[in-house]
Amino acid sequence: MGETGAKPGHDTLFDVEEMELALGPQHPSTHGVLRINLKIDGERILDSYPIIGYLHRGTEKLFELHPFFQNVPHTDRIDYVAAATNNLAYVGAVEKLTGITVPPRASYIRTILCELQRISSHLLWLATHAIDVGAMTPFFYCFREREQVLDLFEEYCGARLTLNCMRPGGLPFDLPVGWTDRCSAFIDKFPAKVAEYEGLLTNNRIWKKRTVGIGVLSKEQVLQYGITGPMLRGSGVDFDLRKATPYEAYDEVDFDVPVFPNGDTYDRYLVRMEEMRQSARIVRQCLAKLPDGEVMAKRPRVLKANKGAEAYFGIEGPKGEIGFYIVGNGTPNPDRCRVRAPSFYNLQVVPELAKDHLLSDLVAIIGTTDIVLGEVDR
Amino acid sequence: MSAMRGLLDRFMLLDLFSGLGITFRHLFKKKETVQYPEERCEPAHRFRGMFRLDEERCIKCTLCARDCPIDIIYIDWHQEMNPVTEKKEKALDRFDIDVQRCMFCGLCEEACPTNPKSIWLTSKTYELASYDRWENLYVDIDELQDWKVRPAYTDDEVR
Amino acid sequence: MLEALREAVGPTLFTYAVSPLFKILALIFLGVLPLIMYLVLAERKILGFMQVRLGPNRVGPWGILQPVADIAKLLVKEDVIPNKAVRWAFVLAPCLVVAPAFVILAVIPFGPSAEQSGGALDFFITDVNVGLLFVVAMATVGVYGIIIGGWASNSKFSLLGGLRSAAQMISYEIPQGFSLVIPLLMAGTMSLQGVVGAQFEQGRWFVFQFFPFGLIAFFIYFVAGVAESNRNPFDLPEAESELVAGFHTEYTGMRFALFFLGEYANMIVISALAVTLFLGGWLAPFPNVGWASFLDLQWIPFMTPGLAGLIWFSAKLFAFLFVYIWFRGTFPRYRFDQLMDLGWKWLIPLVLFTVFGVGIWKTLL
Repeated sequence: MGETGAKPGHDTLFDVEEMELALGPQHPSTHGVLRINLKIDGERILDSYPIIGYLHRGTEKLFELHPFFQNVPHTDRIDYVAAATNNLAYVGAVEKLTGITVPPRASYIRTILCELQRISSHLLWLATHAIDVGAMTPFFYCFREREQVLDLFEEYCGARLTLNCMRPGGLPFDLPVGWTDRCSAFIDKFPAKVAEYEGLLTNNRIWKKRTVGIGVLSKEQVLQYGITGPMLRGSGVDFDLRKATPYEAYDEVDFDVPVFPNGDTYDRYLVRMEEMRQSARIVRQCLAKLPDGEVMAKRPRVLKANKGAEAYFGIEGPKGEIGFYIVGNGTPNPDRCRVRAPSFYNLQVVPELAKDHLLSDLVAIIGTTDIVLGEVDR
Repeated sequence: MSAMRGLLDRFMLLDLFSGLGITFRHLFKKKETVQYPEERCEPAHRFRGMFRLDEERCIKCTLCARDCPIDIIYIDWHQEMNPVTEKKEKALDRFDIDVQRCMFCGLCEEACPTNPKSIWLTSKTYELASYDRWENLYVDIDELQDWKVRPAYTDDEVR
Repeated sequence: MLEALREAVGPTLFTYAVSPLFKILALIFLGVLPLIMYLVLAERKILGFMQVRLGPNRVGPWGILQPVADIAKLLVKEDVIPNKAVRWAFVLAPCLVVAPAFVILAVIPFGPSAEQSGGALDFFITDVNVGLLFVVAMATVGVYGIIIGGWASNSKFSLLGGLRSAAQMISYEIPQGFSLVIPLLMAGTMSLQGVVGAQFEQGRWFVFQFFPFGLIAFFIYFVAGVAESNRNPFDLPEAESELVAGFHTEYTGMRFALFFLGEYANMIVISALAVTLFLGGWLAPFPNVGWASFLDLQWIPFMTPGLAGLIWFSAKLFAFLFVYIWFRGTFPRYRFDQLMDLGWKWLIPLVLFTVFGVGIWKTLL
């Protein structure tokens, strides 16, 4: 649990009495079943130690027991607020392993689904982050728009949260009639809504006080910890897998990667707000360019990977790089499937960020890492 | 000018007032609440709800049971002589679905080889809450075909 | 009947004991408790409307019976006292929060006195000549309830909440107390009825007196008041996302309801004081301006000056309470040390400066 006792610079005139506090797993702002054991001196955090595993379901082992196509529903439940990106990372790895090329229409639809998913995931993040910091109203505004995104998902694949909307080789269905119109109607309205959330928070002095300079991550630190996604870009590292290794239709659309230099909670907030706007931009371009044709590649009904064949496919999920590493063994099942879950990597920096901050900041820090415990524990 | 504005912002709390303005405007906006038991959201056409089965169409191939990722479809059948056609046909002994474990992925429906599908989830039924998970959420073939047990919101259940 | 009672107990006892007792009971059971019940409902409704939802609307039409249902629920809930809690303190704490808040209401004038309005009724329970001092003294007692409750629960979250609230309420009592000095300087009396009377004589609400000092004092009083009543953006002692429920984490049923009652009673007290001291109390706007005389509402049939005063007082009170709720719907929460910063580094110097300003203005001009 690390060393305890008075830290340098701490006032040792008075008797320091440390208190141990177990935050979670049933705490309103640990975003699920995270438990953080804290050593605190008054409100100041001396040490913190996240305890994970309350939501461990053995997903990676589960993958080995099923043929490739049956695993897609299980990937929904890894990061359960961003199912489409999990689906894409998994089916992308399977396609890479078995050498299937996806038809262009399917690529475009996948891109649209992933960006809508990014919007919905970021909206959920903003809602909970704002409520952690004490502003309760953005929660409802965010959920209002998130419902509309989920409605679009429901119309496309029949589910709102655990989508199961991709298959190795393409997509299970084509878009329903009128979907593109409804999607573009939402996308046209969406930037104004983002401005509304920003009006409540971005310039608000209380919000700034609670986020600026809180949980600062330097450029070196994010690289050391293997942190990806908005947390990486909030620390001034310009790296986005959508630009670095374009997959699906990302090299055919035009978008910016927001990068902010300070690495604090406020900059990470700005990154995610801008990403929502950019996602809307990507969806709009994809809808305009959407090609005709099949959505499923010609492929055998039962996919088999050669023995010893292996593939890793990582994509830019809403929380960071979500990737699947799959090894084949000549049967329809994978021999091993390893999930690179961004929340797990992002969570490990929390103790370092929280050190010497106050209890209130810890809550903001947990919020800004945007963890989903389903993904941390798998 | 911007320095002036910054100063004004600092002392007149303009940032706080703009936030107050946004919430005040929302006081008069249309509310998003759906008054659930009276008003209900109609699910989309592809909505994956409660199972339905059509025994007439089912060819007892058990593909749905094999494609189910969590193996909750239980099918037993035996060969039987059809008195009309005088051919051997498969007859169902049991077709049970353990809905309490179902994750509504829809793979069983996709696997079904008949056209139209003989098992499907697009029934627009989502009120599956029950007091007893064993009695009510373990459905057998009669319940799968009895559409009155769990009514749907619209009539167009069949795609 | 009143006369008979007066005969029975004797005029002295009647004036000093029986009559105030009746007024207090009437005020609490007919005035403050229903007001709090419906303030909670109004808060939930207004917050709901700000958050594009409807708020409670199931119990009775538009949810107007919701408070009744809430109280019934709280009354029948199991009253849990944690095993390791300090029993006497745990039981005492909620009472210590509620009682002072109600006591303060005794000195607040809700309307004109009998001689001012020419009616038969004083619209206040009592007019203490050191009313303001009494208010400040009583307001201080409330904090003990919260500290004791937080400590006696024997829960770490409660303890943190109690400590936060101790530091917060004591720090903010200083700017609040000083900002109360300013209307005192303007009025030259400590009686709250006298303060309203002074505003009538000077023909101006004290917010606009000695511009901008009155306004600054009002602003400081309001900020400190929001902090004193533990409301957003200063709701640290019960910060849900950090301390679960702060000092009342372990409280259930009616004991929790008492804390809840205390919080809302405090809101009402602070708003009522702000209205009395800065916004002219029961006076109509522009009390001495000829063309605005229709604002005294005497053109409405059956309106007496006393009733008009009550209406104006309530209108201002509700506007104030709306602002409280509006804040809750809009702002994030300050951090503990930032709250201290704001209190000690901004509000206290500012209020000292204002007190000096008013003093110099009053002496020189």
